[in-house]
Amino acid sequence: MSKYFANIYDTVNTLWTGMRITWRHMMNIKRDNVTLQYPEERWPRPERNIGFNHDNYNVIRSRLHVDIDECIGCLKCTRACPVDCIKIDTIKAPVRGEDIPNVGHTGETSSGTKKALLVSRFTIDMSECCYCNLCTYPCPEKCIFMVGGPNGSKHPIDYEFSEFDRNNLIYQFAKLITPGQKEALQNPTPEVEA
Amino acid sequence: MGIVQGDQMILNIGPQHPSTHGVLRLEVRTDGEIVSEIKPHLGYLHRCFEKHSENVTYEQVIPFTDRCDYLASMNSNFGYVVAMEELMEIKVPERVDYIRIIMGELNRIASHLLALGVYGLDIGAFTPFLYMFRDRERILDMFELTCGARLLYNYMWVGGVSHDLPKDFEKICIGFLDYFEPQIKEYNNLLTYNKIFIERTADVGVIPADVAVSYGVTGPNLRGSGVKWDVRKDEPYSIYDRFEFDIPVGEGQFGTLGDCFDRYWVRMLEISQSVKILRQALKDIPDGNVHQALPKKIRPPKGSVYRRTESPRGDLGYYIVSDGTPVPYRVKMRSPAFTALSCLDEVSRGWMISDVIAILGSLDIVLGEIDR
Repeated sequence: MSKYFANIYDTVNTLWTGMRITWRHMMNIKRDNVTLQYPEERWPRPERNIGFNHDNYNVIRSRLHVDIDECIGCLKCTRACPVDCIKIDTIKAPVRGEDIPNVGHTGETSSGTKKALLVSRFTIDMSECCYCNLCTYPCPEKCIFMVGGPNGSKHPIDYEFSEFDRNNLIYQFAKLITPGQKEALQNPTPEVEA
Repeated sequence: MGIVQGDQMILNIGPQHPSTHGVLRLEVRTDGEIVSEIKPHLGYLHRCFEKHSENVTYEQVIPFTDRCDYLASMNSNFGYVVAMEELMEIKVPERVDYIRIIMGELNRIASHLLALGVYGLDIGAFTPFLYMFRDRERILDMFELTCGARLLYNYMWVGGVSHDLPKDFEKICIGFLDYFEPQIKEYNNLLTYNKIFIERTADVGVIPADVAVSYGVTGPNLRGSGVKWDVRKDEPYSIYDRFEFDIPVGEGQFGTLGDCFDRYWVRMLEISQSVKILRQALKDIPDGNVHQALPKKIRPPKGSVYRRTESPRGDLGYYIVSDGTPVPYRVKMRSPAFTALSCLDEVSRGWMISDVIAILGSLDIVLGEIDR
């Protein structure tokens, strides 16, 4: 019989202890409130300059972007990708390091590397991307990166890029080349008909 | 499942049920409300981790290990890179070891917080879940600060880590620990000592020590049964032998040794031990380069390695066979949650259906790791 009442006492006592904690939090709702009204307010993103001598690291996971004028078509990012979501096609440029204005090809990157290849296709399927960031490290020209972070001034962060159509998530970065132009580039000196 | 006789009934729990912690289907044969047999059906989350690993290079396996135990990705990475370094005989700089232990222990706290909070939710206590998630969020913020990701990090690499710690990480982390330690007391007052919670968990789902050992149950589930076995202490990897910490074991203070409460309580005590390790690691962390030992091309010599590490769920082992090419010949993962689930049938026989939920929650399984 005494155990019966001891049980009731225990239950009421421990419940009261718990309720006191929740009550204290409810009274301090200004201080303890952690809920964010998401579309109106957003959690501040941490500062990305992580110090030491690693400023060039891209410590961010967001939408992938390619500065296509810098790309030399070395395929290192394609090989690093574990899910094969980066696809690149290249054509050998007629003259190394020379501009081809009619297809918008620039011969040199901003760091002065002369391009030997023309990138005719550069697609990233963001619906396949696993955000592992492995593609950004091997890039010799630092032209593939996740937007925001150290590139924030040029490319502001974008992590809300949902689409209604899945095909819209396949990003095309290469400049548009018509089949005729492609043909002309692949066979630079077509035979003249007699 | 056999023939259903007399008053027996077959009840289907899952595959989409909030208490199954993922996509797990339980086929339960009941007699009235008493469970007589449970058959777990797995494979709803099977993603071919092991086969997939045979087609990607060694560094590309790491993002896939993230997705196995998605609640403790750092520890999954940790196990893989420790195994790889043993295979390639790389000695990592001391700072890398310290960073890895800091990250691993932080993730252990985060994982245990989720396990305990969701366990309360299974039993019917909603508030502790919110409080624990609030604090877990602060740990995830620290991870975001360090490597940019909040859940699937790909942070530990073979021979190093992907980024060094941010500038004042030590200060932020100590600040978090100072804030966090009093919270443990609050959780205890809110949930652990609650009479209703104790009645639901004490004496329920007892796993005797010999049963736990024979099923290969590891981690907090094994220690809840009173067996003092922790890979960090008994078979130290990385630099765990430098730290001073205890291995909490179940004592059966409210019921029998090895009941659901003991498993819950061991996790709660382990959080405090992780805090203790973190404080030591943050005090001693040396300066240095984290990329010093990073190999240019990962091409391990012919051979194989098996390395076990202590993930929040238990003994996580990686068996890696190399044939001298940049692609692994075989990667096998020994998943602790899988063995924990395998003893569910024996443990929950004779208990009521609502107790099965309590037992399943106390095992703290992650289906991503069971199915792989």
